Amino acid sequence: MKNFIVVLNLIFLATGGWAAAAPDYIIDLRYENRRWIPETIVVPANRRVTVKIVNASHEAIEFESFKLNREKVVGPGETVTITLPALKPGRYDFYDDFHADVPQGTIVAK
Amino acid sequence: MRIHSRFALLAGLVLLLHARPATAQLDPFEFEVYPYKTLGRGMLEVESLNSVVANGSRHGENGTSKGTLPSQSMWRTAVEVTYGLTDHIEAAAYLNLAKPRGGDLQYAASKFRLRGSLFDQGQLPVDLGWYMELEYNRVPKIDDQKLELELRPIIQRDFGDFSLVLSPKFEKILVGSEEKKGFEFGYVSGVYYRWMRAFSPGVEFYGAIGMIKHPDPAKEQQHYIFPVVRGESHGIEYSVGPGFGLTRGSDRVIVKFNVALEKYIGALFGPSSGELF
Repeated sequence: MKNFIVVLNLIFLATGGWAAAAPDYIIDLRYENRRWIPETIVVPANRRVTVKIVNASHEAIEFESFKLNREKVVGPGETVTITLPALKPGRYDFYDDFHADVPQGTIVAK
Repeated sequence: MRIHSRFALLAGLVLLLHARPATAQLDPFEFEVYPYKTLGRGMLEVESLNSVVANGSRHGENGTSKGTLPSQSMWRTAVEVTYGLTDHIEAAAYLNLAKPRGGDLQYAASKFRLRGSLFDQGQLPVDLGWYMELEYNRVPKIDDQKLELELRPIIQRDFGDFSLVLSPKFEKILVGSEEKKGFEFGYVSGVYYRWMRAFSPGVEFYGAIGMIKHPDPAKEQQHYIFPVVRGESHGIEYSVGPGFGLTRGSDRVIVKFNVALEKYIGALFGPSSGELF
């Protein structure tokens, strides 16, 4: 039990220190008129990315990416941020999970 | 006939005297590993958590049975309703039902829980969450303790397409014959591969060792491994798989199948600041 508490403390200490690391690469993503703007986002590979999502529509949406293991509800008129891990070069789809008819977007890591 | 009845009574008494309370706590109504992520803000989820003991014990207080009913052929189902309060906190209520072999479906327990995540996902090297649950059990048929508190940290780390979720659990009897005892220890963990949205494999681990200070002997502890497949299609999420007991104290084979429906019904609160809550 003592060992477990020590391990937990170490995790918290490590994560606390890491939180103050280098700033992320920030990108803006907008949802409006049932589409993502832009639909394709290019980000640097191997660098952590913050996606700032603005829902400029009058309906709630859910930004979701299965491969990136991210999902977040964004209410109408709201702005939220999502942190993505450092990505290997490649293409990663994202979509609005509430509206299947909305075209998917793609994050391209180069 | 009378001799048979007396023999049966005597055998029953002997069994009762030798039956030791199942101290190793494992929740057989909920074979589910909760990840770091909570339900989206404003989302309502209705989930049916089901399991059936295909090969278990014919006596109560053995295997996954914590009450007088035997685990063999026991069908357990929990109806769970969850609401996403904020981006980081969800609240849930459960109704647990059980159908023993040859018996009717009956009330087993009620549960209420809060679950949360700390910081935004990916901000820390490991994603951290928490889980707090109160469980009211029907005694003595289903459980030998009336009210229990369960606390869990949730630790998740993604490695590319793999996710590792670790969740040690600490349980305290609040009302029952063991209320003066300390915390019991168990775990709920899983490794998953994100293959396809509708179909992804994983392996889940559930176990209980008994009291932290005085663990049960290894062979009497319960440890299970569940190879599972899970996914989401047309708004329906599922997770199914067989579970195999790894110790003599475990049931041998359990099959679980969980199904969930989600719908956005409107948020009570605005988006989180992206920091702690």
